[in-house]
Amino acid sequence: MGWYNKRLAKSLWVFHASGSPCNNCDIEILDLITPRYDIERLGIKLVGSVRHADVLLVTGIFNQKIAPKIKKIYDQAPKPIFVVAIGTCVSSGCCFKDSYNITEKPESIIPIDMFVPGCPPKPEAMIEAVAKLMGVLNG
Amino acid sequence: MKANKIPIGPFHPLLEEAEYFELTVDGETVVDIDMEIGWMHRGHEYISEMKTFTQSIYVVERICGICSTSHPIACVHAIEDIDNIEIPLRARYIRTLVGELERIHSHLLWIGLAGHFIGYDTLWMWAWKYREPVLEMFEIISGNRNHYGMMRVGGVAKDIDPGKITELYKHLDMIEKKMVMVAKVVRDDPVLRSRFKGVGVLTHEAAVAYCATGPTSRASGVPWDVRRDEPTDAYDLVDFEVIVLPNGDVYDKAVVRVLEVIESGKIIRQCLEKLKTAQGSILNNVKEISPGEGIGRYEAPRGEVFHYIRSDGTNRPIRHKVRAPSFVNIPTFTASCKGIPIADVLITLAAVDPCYCCTERSIKVIDQKHGSQPIDLLKSSREKTERIRREIHGN
Amino acid sequence: MAEIEQFLKDMGGKITNKIEKKKRLYFNVTNDDLQDIADYLFNKMGCRLLTATAMEMYHGIEILYHFSLDKTGQYFCPRIVIKDKKNPKVNSISSIIEGAIWIEREIFDLLGVEFIGHPRMEELLTLHHPGTVKQPLRFREGA
Repeated sequence: MGWYNKRLAKSLWVFHASGSPCNNCDIEILDLITPRYDIERLGIKLVGSVRHADVLLVTGIFNQKIAPKIKKIYDQAPKPIFVVAIGTCVSSGCCFKDSYNITEKPESIIPIDMFVPGCPPKPEAMIEAVAKLMGVLNG
Repeated sequence: MKANKIPIGPFHPLLEEAEYFELTVDGETVVDIDMEIGWMHRGHEYISEMKTFTQSIYVVERICGICSTSHPIACVHAIEDIDNIEIPLRARYIRTLVGELERIHSHLLWIGLAGHFIGYDTLWMWAWKYREPVLEMFEIISGNRNHYGMMRVGGVAKDIDPGKITELYKHLDMIEKKMVMVAKVVRDDPVLRSRFKGVGVLTHEAAVAYCATGPTSRASGVPWDVRRDEPTDAYDLVDFEVIVLPNGDVYDKAVVRVLEVIESGKIIRQCLEKLKTAQGSILNNVKEISPGEGIGRYEAPRGEVFHYIRSDGTNRPIRHKVRAPSFVNIPTFTASCKGIPIADVLITLAAVDPCYCCTERSIKVIDQKHGSQPIDLLKSSREKTERIRREIHGN
Repeated sequence: MAEIEQFLKDMGGKITNKIEKKKRLYFNVTNDDLQDIADYLFNKMGCRLLTATAMEMYHGIEILYHFSLDKTGQYFCPRIVIKDKKNPKVNSISSIIEGAIWIEREIFDLLGVEFIGHPRMEELLTLHHPGTVKQPLRFREGA
C-alpha cells in the first residue's frame, strides 16, 4: 500500500472530534486554517463527516459519557485512518487525572498513532506533527 | 398537525464541542427545544478540594480555553474576599489589562464564527487574522498565547517592562484601526442585517426571569455589568461605557460585542498609560487564609463568572463552587428559539456565545412526523444566506 | 444601608444567625420561609439570583443561595441546613425564578438533594451516564 500512502500524503482530509476538552486545543486547530498559518496550502482541510476523513484529530480527557461516542466515530471511519491526539489532556490527563469522570487510558478506547503534547500545543508544533505524518506516509 | 422532532447527534460538522439539542418542529418552524448536557463534565469542583489555593488557580484556568483568564480572576477575588486582602496598584492595572485583552480576543473569535455559520467565510478569515496580534500581545506579556497563568492571590505573577509597553502600543494601534473597520462591516452590510435583524428575540422579561448576564442580557435592555456595579481591580480608575441595546435579537447581540471591543481598546490604552507612572510591587505575599467564605465575580466576555470558596484555615479549599455565565445564558434558548424557522436556529444558538466546556452541551433536532430524519442545520443556514444575497443584489 | 434596613424590617422575623460583612449579608432561614424570602428578594427588591451552592457538612447539608442587588453591589445570601442526610428534601424556588431550574437540577445531580415542586427533577450533567458516577460531592469512605 506504499503507493496509496504517498497519494494520501498529498492532501489529507481531517475530521476533528472533541472528547471533553477545554476548547483551547480546538481553537488552535481552527487557527491553522486562518491566514496566519494557512494549512490549506499543504492540501489539508477540515471535513464535516468522518466518512470523508483520512485523519481523525481527538482532544480532551474523554469523559465517561462521551467515550462510547468517540468509539462509535472511530468505528464509522473508513480504514486506513490515522488518529492524532492533540494536547496534554489526551497524553496524560493534564490536571484532571484525579477526576471521577476521566477515562484512565484513552488508548484503550481507540488506537492512537501520534501524540502532540502542549497546553495548548502551538500551531507551529501542530504543523511539525503534520509534516512528520506526511514523512511517515511517504516512507 | 403533529409536531416533528429532529435529532442532531453530539458531533456536528461545524461546532467544536459535543452538543445535543432536541428541536421539536412543526413544518419549518421551531416549536420547542430541549437540551442535554454532560459531555464536557470533568469534575472541577471535586478536583479543587484536593489542590492548594495556588494550584486551584491553575486548574480553574483550564475550565475554558476562550475565557481563560476570567475564571482565575474571579477565583482570586473569592479568596481575597475571605480576608479582605489589599492588591497593589500596579497589579490592579495589569489584571485589568489582561482581562480586557481577553475580551477583545473572545469577541473577535465570536464574530468570526458567526460569519462562518451564515456562510460568510471572508468575515471569519478577517476576524481571526486580526485576532493574531492580540495573541502576540499575550505572548509578550505572559509567554503563552492562551492559558497565561498570570493570576496569584494578592496580585499578579509577572510584571510588564517599559520596553514591552512600547511594543504593546504598536500592536494596539493596529488592532484599533481594524476594529473600527470590522464594526462598520457588521453594522452596514445588507445581507448581515437581514440575516440577523429580528431573529431569535429574547425579551426583556425573559432575560430577567432566566437571570441571563453579559451581552445576552445587555442586548435585551437589561443593563447589568459587573465592571460597573461592583468595580474591582482598576475598573473604578478608568473610564468606559457600558453598551446596552433594546431589541434583543441577534443583530443587537452582534453590535453589543463589536462596540465592546472598541471600549476595551480604550481601557487598555488607559491602563498602559497609567502603568508608566504606577510603580511598586506586583504581589502582596499572603501566608495563610483564615476560615470563612468568600465570593468573587468578574465580567467575562460571555457574562458574569461567579466563584465561591469556603476555607477552614488549612491551605486547601473545602468547597469551591464555579458558575459560568453560559449556565444561565443557555436556558434562554427555550425563550428565544420558539417560532423561528430552522435555518435561523444555528445563528440564534450561537448568538448567546455558548461556551459548553464552561457548561456542557449537545444539539439534536427531532422530527416527529417523519420519524428520525437528520437535518443539516449548517447547510440550511448557508442556503438562506445565499437566497437573501440573491434577493438583495438582484442576480 | 437603606436596603438592608428595609429588608430586616419586613423579613426580620424569619431570619436567624445574621452575619454582616462589607456588602454581604449571610443569614439562615427555614424550609417553610424560603419561598417567601426568595419572592421578596426577587420580585420586590429586584435582586438577581446568581446561583446556589450546596455542600455536605458533618451537621447536615447546607444550601446557600446568592442574590445580588445590582444597583448597589449588595449581596443577600440565605442559607438552609438540612439535617436529614439520607433523604434530603427542600422546597423549590423555580416557580418564582425560572433561572433556578438548572441550578436545582445540578444540586440534585451532584449531591442528591430533592427539590419539592421542581418541574423536571432529574440529573443535569450525568443524565444517561454509562459509567459509575453518582452524587460525586457527597462524603465517601476513604476519601
